[in-house]
Amino acid sequence: MFRIALTLLAIALLAGACSSSEPVEGIEPPSPVTSEELQALLADSTGPVVVNVWASWCTPCRSEAPLIGRAATEYADDVLFIGLDVRDTPEGATAFIAEFFPDAPITHLSDASGQVPTDLGGSRGVPLTFFFRPGGELSYLHFGVIDERTLALQIDELVNG
Amino acid sequence: MEFTLLAAAAIAGAAAYIMLWWEAKHGNAARCTGNLWEIGLVSTVAGIFIGRIVAMLVDGVNPIAHPMDVILVRSGVSTVGASLGAAAVFAVQARKNTITIADGISAAALAGLAGWHAGCLVRGSCLGTASDLPWAIAQEGSTVTRHPVGIYAALLLAIAAIGLAWWKAYRRPPEGSPAAIAVIAAAGIRLATEPFQPSISGGPVWFYATALVAGIGVLAWSIVRRKTA
Repeated sequence: MFRIALTLLAIALLAGACSSSEPVEGIEPPSPVTSEELQALLADSTGPVVVNVWASWCTPCRSEAPLIGRAATEYADDVLFIGLDVRDTPEGATAFIAEFFPDAPITHLSDASGQVPTDLGGSRGVPLTFFFRPGGELSYLHFGVIDERTLALQIDELVNG
Repeated sequence: MEFTLLAAAAIAGAAAYIMLWWEAKHGNAARCTGNLWEIGLVSTVAGIFIGRIVAMLVDGVNPIAHPMDVILVRSGVSTVGASLGAAAVFAVQARKNTITIADGISAAALAGLAGWHAGCLVRGSCLGTASDLPWAIAQEGSTVTRHPVGIYAALLLAIAAIGLAWWKAYRRPPEGSPAAIAVIAAAGIRLATEPFQPSISGGPVWFYATALVAGIGVLAWSIVRRKTA
């Protein structure tokens, strides 16, 4: 039993060590954005906006990314999804986008300082998910990994509220 | 805030244990609360672990390359994977007396599920689709009133658990029928409440329907078996 556990641990560590953040061809790195620019984008929005804050080094972000990608695809006609990559490298960001959001209709932006989420009313921790009504009014802010029920409920609030 | 899942799990565990404790005093066929508790707990934890790995695989995340993701159960646990995984682990643990132990644990399993759904009060995840019914509730800062679907599920499961425990204690049901009733209740209640649940890609309705039919089949088998015995 101990040998099996040790072997599995060794495989897991080896597989983890083999993963890398190489630049990905065909995927553009997220465009840099400031707090003022993002707030102006939200103020000008005519529909609901979901801003998901992530980073490629953040394990919880990785675990919620498939759900965010599915939601963005499902609500592409009703909600604008923005992925805000913070305190990250362009290589890490493109690898993350290529892995989780290759086809998802998400506008990817980056904030190397990590200050933008704080200015929007959040914190420096990731992941964070902001839900904005048209015009940029904050409807709900979720700290940490978001689950499917919460995401669906808050999107429904934006779309039908 | 991330610990609200643990709080909901603690409520579920307490509800299941209280039910086992009550049944031990009222003629639970298995008459072994400690063993039933251990079997139930191990099956549940293993089921959640398996369900999480299945959810990762479905989402395209390699669990071997990202082993730490397994503990992030909030990101999603496959209901199908968890249910089948828990059932398989249960079957291995109870292989010498499967039907009796399944009957013994049936009401406690329903009570645990009721406790888990009641945990939505701690998690802040009770609300479902929009509704104009008098008891519909709006979340803070919203004007949209909604079905408290988590409470619906908790109440229905609690009623089923208490009814099943009473039936087992005072009516001596055919062997296998309490476990079948538990499966029918759990699947039927999930099937009935699913339309009120907020969801991105929809719940596994086909799985609940299959479990419901399987439960009815086992119930019919247990009744026929007793009559022919």
